[in-house]
Amino acid sequence: MLTVDDVTFAYAPGAPVLSDVTFHVPPGQVVAIVGRNGAGKSTLLRLLNGLYQPATGAIVVNGNATSDTPVHLLARSIGTVFQAPEQQIFNAKVVDEIAFGPKQLGLTGKALDERVGAVLERIGLAGEAETHPLDIDASARRMVAIGSVLAMQPPVLLLDEAQRGLDKAAIDRLAKIIADEKARGTTVLLVCHDMDFVARNADRVLGLARGRLAADLSTEGFFTDAALTAAIGVEVPDMVSLSAALGLAPALSPERFAAAWMARNEA
Amino acid sequence: MALIDVADLAFRFPRAKELVLDGITLSIEAGERVAILAPNAAGKTTLARWLSGLLPEGVLTAERGHVAMAGKPFAEWSVAERATAIQFVGQVPSQQLTGCAFTVYEEIAFGPCNLALPEAEVRARVDEALTICNLRHLAERDPFTLSGGETQRLSIAAALAMKPRVLVLDEPTSNLDPESRDDLLAQLDLLPGGLTIIVLEVALRPSLALAKRFLLLDQGRIVADGTASEVLNDPRCIETLGMTAVTEAAFRLREAGRWPDATLLPLTLNEALDSFGAPRAHG
Repeated sequence: MLTVDDVTFAYAPGAPVLSDVTFHVPPGQVVAIVGRNGAGKSTLLRLLNGLYQPATGAIVVNGNATSDTPVHLLARSIGTVFQAPEQQIFNAKVVDEIAFGPKQLGLTGKALDERVGAVLERIGLAGEAETHPLDIDASARRMVAIGSVLAMQPPVLLLDEAQRGLDKAAIDRLAKIIADEKARGTTVLLVCHDMDFVARNADRVLGLARGRLAADLSTEGFFTDAALTAAIGVEVPDMVSLSAALGLAPALSPERFAAAWMARNEA
Repeated sequence: MALIDVADLAFRFPRAKELVLDGITLSIEAGERVAILAPNAAGKTTLARWLSGLLPEGVLTAERGHVAMAGKPFAEWSVAERATAIQFVGQVPSQQLTGCAFTVYEEIAFGPCNLALPEAEVRARVDEALTICNLRHLAERDPFTLSGGETQRLSIAAALAMKPRVLVLDEPTSNLDPESRDDLLAQLDLLPGGLTIIVLEVALRPSLALAKRFLLLDQGRIVADGTASEVLNDPRCIETLGMTAVTEAAFRLREAGRWPDATLLPLTLNEALDSFGAPRAHG
């Protein structure tokens, strides 16, 4: 779980990037952080994982205050998949990249092998274990970055535009990973520009506008508030617009739209 | 003669078993707006590098075939000639920063300065690129302090300042919020008609507003080449790229025998609204 209490942050004096941000995320919830370019989304992630310290306010991750927990200890509670996987991969084999984190936790032998093997299966790279991460395509490389974080089994998982550049098969795989993490009680935060992905995968949306938390609603509540989505600068998913135009309850996915349309026209 | 001609291009990386590109033949005319769609690992970025003249390089040569621009194979172009003819913007914009510019303005000026252009010309080009990519308010910022989307706009601005005849963009709007994306696409649309734009994407939707011609690349081969609806209705496209949400909804209803228009699957929200006889959305 995660608590952010009245947090303010600035890179330069007098120009706050985030102001008075407060929210709480319980275990097993998937929360999307959305907003315009430069709204402070990635900065917020870097505050949550302790890379930056808030100017005022407090952040508590899984019982640890980021202000007095060293980043390497905080990493046991919160795992981050950064925007550019190339910037967080440093081993010469996929399997070593996945094993690096658990080894730091003290895992060895069978326990380590089992954990690494399970992660390789989840990210679909069991056949590439011995390959150099820079010899696989960009989407597989992103999966390696995701896998290296999953292998730590952090109670809080941060994904910064992890869906970007993934094709349909890889998007489906990522959605499954998120759903599985949710099911095992992980708190998942997604920074994401793809509103269709948000609609399909998030329980709740935090909208940032000019560094302030302008929205904190259920996914359905957020996307059906036209004034709010416009103020935050995000697109309403086509399924929500289509269901509204046809007088149906808001649908967050094509499956749900099709089901709602057929149910209404059954009679 | 087309502006870019790809003739039976086959390429594999050293020591690799499989060909990345396997017999690509393709012509692109001056001023065309082309989207090349491909699933992951299909050879998309490698093809982009060939189209941009970044390959061949050193040991990375074609197994057969070649790519020519204006009738001359890229292997015969000097780096300076190539840089003013064609510009490539990659997927990771932060990797594209020169690292030797202290401001956004200097970053954009870097290319034109290296062409030894007169100062007034450099300034005019930087000004134009700042406008097109909506970066004027960030001109004095350190490039390494920009957000992901701002960096993506900067990398495109730096390419435009070279005044290329061809712009090759690898997932150019993936980091942009919708307003930035629409602004950029509208500005690109306003550029002199002679500029050829080639975008590479993993999904159909982002390129719908820009491209008129769509190619599907799968396992190193061009397997479809046509308009958006032609390529979308190609089963190979549906299988590899999936569908837009609107198309998928219609597809599900059609499978159940419930889609009002039995022939055409809609690509966009407005097309779907038309099919249901509902009024179109704005924009």
